[in-house]
Amino acid sequence: MPDPTEIEIYNYTTFEGKEDFVGFRTTLQVGSAAPDFSAILLETGQPVRLSDYWRERDLVIEFGSLT
Amino acid sequence: MAREYAEKGFTFVFVYTREAHPGENYGAHRSMEQKLAHARAFKEQDKIERPILIDDLVGTGHKLYGELPNMTYLVGRGGRVLFRSDWTDPPTIELVLNYLLNVRARRREGERLTPFYAEFVGYRKNDPAEFQERLKRAGQQAVDDFARMMQRWNQQGKIPGRLGE
Repeated sequence: MPDPTEIEIYNYTTFEGKEDFVGFRTTLQVGSAAPDFSAILLETGQPVRLSDYWRERDLVIEFGSLT
Repeated sequence: MAREYAEKGFTFVFVYTREAHPGENYGAHRSMEQKLAHARAFKEQDKIERPILIDDLVGTGHKLYGELPNMTYLVGRGGRVLFRSDWTDPPTIELVLNYLLNVRARRREGERLTPFYAEFVGYRKNDPAEFQERLKRAGQQAVDDFARMMQRWNQQGKIPGRLGE
C-alpha cells in the first residue's frame, strides 16, 4: 500500500510549476531501453504492462490528465 | 491521427498521470477510484479513442519517463526509445512517424542505415483561450493558481517549459 504522504506529495493540490523541464533532457535518453511499468487499462479495469504494447508494434505514448 | 497511423503499424496509448492543474471540480487524486473516474471523464469529454492506461497513485510510470505534464514518447518495436518530447504536438509526432517509415522503406530498398543521436527545437500550438477553458473545467482554483504562477514567472522573466525565442 503506497505511503499516504507519497500520494499527497505526488498529487499536489496546488499547481506551483515545479516540473523539471531542464532535468527531463538528460533523464532517459533516446536510444536506451524504454522503462516498463504496470498500469490499469481503463477499458477493462485490468492490469496491463506498458511493454505489452511495444512487443509487436512501435508505440506512441502520450502522458497527461484531464486538467 | 492515431487512426491513420495505426494502419501504418503504430500503436497509440495515453498514460493517465496526476492532475496537472487540480481544482474544485477535478482535484488531486486520493484514490484509484477517483483517478479512474477522472480518466473516464477525460475519455468522454475529449473523445479519446486510444487505450488509456492509468498509472498508479504515486506516479511510478510517470516518474520513470520524466514526470512532465504532457510528454510524448515513441518507443520502437522491442522497446527502444526513439523519440521523446517535453510537450505534445501532433504535427511533430507525425513528422517523426513519417521519418521512421521512411527509414524502414530505405532499408527495405537495401540502403544501409545506422542510428545516430539528434536533438531539435519543436514548435507547438499555443492557444491561451483554450488553455483557460481547460483550467476553468478543473475549477476556479486551477485558474487562480496558474494566474499566480504566471505573474511570478513574468516577474522572473522566464516561463518554465518554454524555450526562449
